[in-house]
Amino acid sequence: MKYQNNDTYIAKWLAGEMSDEELMEFKKTTEYKDYKFIIDVTKGLEPPTYDQQKHFSSTLNKISNQNQKNTTKVRTLIPHWAYAAAAAVVLFLGYSFFFQQTTFQTQLAEQTSFLLPDGSEVLLNADSEIAFKSFNWDSNRALNLTGEAYFKVKKGSKFTVKTKEGAVAVLGTQFTVNSRKNFYNVTCFEGKVKVTSGKLNHILTPGKAISIQDNIATPYKTNEVTPSWTAQESSFNEVAIYEVVTELERQYNIIISGKENLKTAYFTGRFSHTNLQQALTTIFDTMEIRYTFDANRNVRIQKYK
Amino acid sequence: MPDNQKSICEQRVFEEVFNTHSKTIRNFIYYKCGDSAQAEDLTQDAFVKLWNNCAKVPFEKAKSYLYTLVNNAFLNEVAHKKVILKHQKSITSIASHESPEFVYREKEFKEELDRAIANLTEKQREVFLLNRIENKKYKEIAEMLGISVKAVEKRMHGALVSLRSEIKEFKK
Repeated sequence: MKYQNNDTYIAKWLAGEMSDEELMEFKKTTEYKDYKFIIDVTKGLEPPTYDQQKHFSSTLNKISNQNQKNTTKVRTLIPHWAYAAAAAVVLFLGYSFFFQQTTFQTQLAEQTSFLLPDGSEVLLNADSEIAFKSFNWDSNRALNLTGEAYFKVKKGSKFTVKTKEGAVAVLGTQFTVNSRKNFYNVTCFEGKVKVTSGKLNHILTPGKAISIQDNIATPYKTNEVTPSWTAQESSFNEVAIYEVVTELERQYNIIISGKENLKTAYFTGRFSHTNLQQALTTIFDTMEIRYTFDANRNVRIQKYK
Repeated sequence: MPDNQKSICEQRVFEEVFNTHSKTIRNFIYYKCGDSAQAEDLTQDAFVKLWNNCAKVPFEKAKSYLYTLVNNAFLNEVAHKKVILKHQKSITSIASHESPEFVYREKEFKEELDRAIANLTEKQREVFLLNRIENKKYKEIAEMLGISVKAVEKRMHGALVSLRSEIKEFKK
């Protein structure tokens, strides 16, 4: 076997570079079977997982740390860059950092409305934030949302609302998006709305809504023509009671203690933004939750007996 | 932008280089030392150095610059110690015959294989794993390591011969 004097022939075989004649001969040997087995089995090997984003952030941290220690020798770096980039990696994934973002924000118990560059209207509910780039807005209508907002979109190119939980894409329509921690809700009032979250793809038509809690999507119908919160109310459809209480805190800028006493339960209904006493009665009395409420607007949820 | 005008000093370009190469570089070092934390640390350090020298390194040289850096860093820092690679997912089942006996033998075989891979020389192991896990062609491996294709083939051949002789299963 002339090829066996060659100290690369197995490598040649593996790369498919053996001549047919050599291959025929090699296949007859007992060792062929062994090598074939090693090759088959090592196909399944994988290195440990690698979190690229995390390591990019760490690399940026290392760069900014060394620059603080050693300013003479090292190229200077805009100090905000590392932080901005690290935040941007998380928040505006896939965005270039070139054009400045415009940001609108609301505090607790506050709502605001504003117009986008194309005249589309946005109503921002309490404790929410919207960021977008006005540069080239007409051809790239995309914004990032944390919290809850109501959109009246002018007809035009695709309009995308990105949240941590997923994205909503539309052409010209009216809809709300509510993206809070562990909770994601989209309601369509006019036109057609496409909701994507993870693997889920869902198209909403007027009067339809979808809520996603703990990765479970529940589509439902609504009779509202505009979101209730634009009329000083918050409404819910089978929403975990914990989320309802959190929304109550947001709308009244209060802290409700004893939330850990809440049992798992789902609430359907609405509460007013103008009368705390009444709102508390609506939620807690119907859910048979015992609570205390004093003149300083301190609310405490009691333990179940 | 054409590649020859790209500057690594631009954040966007730097990130692009990071996203293209960091994972393979990490794995490359991991195959040498078998310690993923250390491999990740060396990889990050190499990118820090790349950033510091961004004005001197043209975009198209970034890859070989990075490999040279991690290679040297590895040689300087790492004492030659025994390598036990923990493969996240080791052997996939070979579908056709999955009798309990086979599954047992497969498990045994997997352990032997891990040991045999650990017993390869560092040079054989990196070539073998870059080819088997990263699916790198000999030519690409040669470029990464700065050696000839012929040398890569020799190491690959040597690795397979050594694995076969280490694994008891084959001696039956």
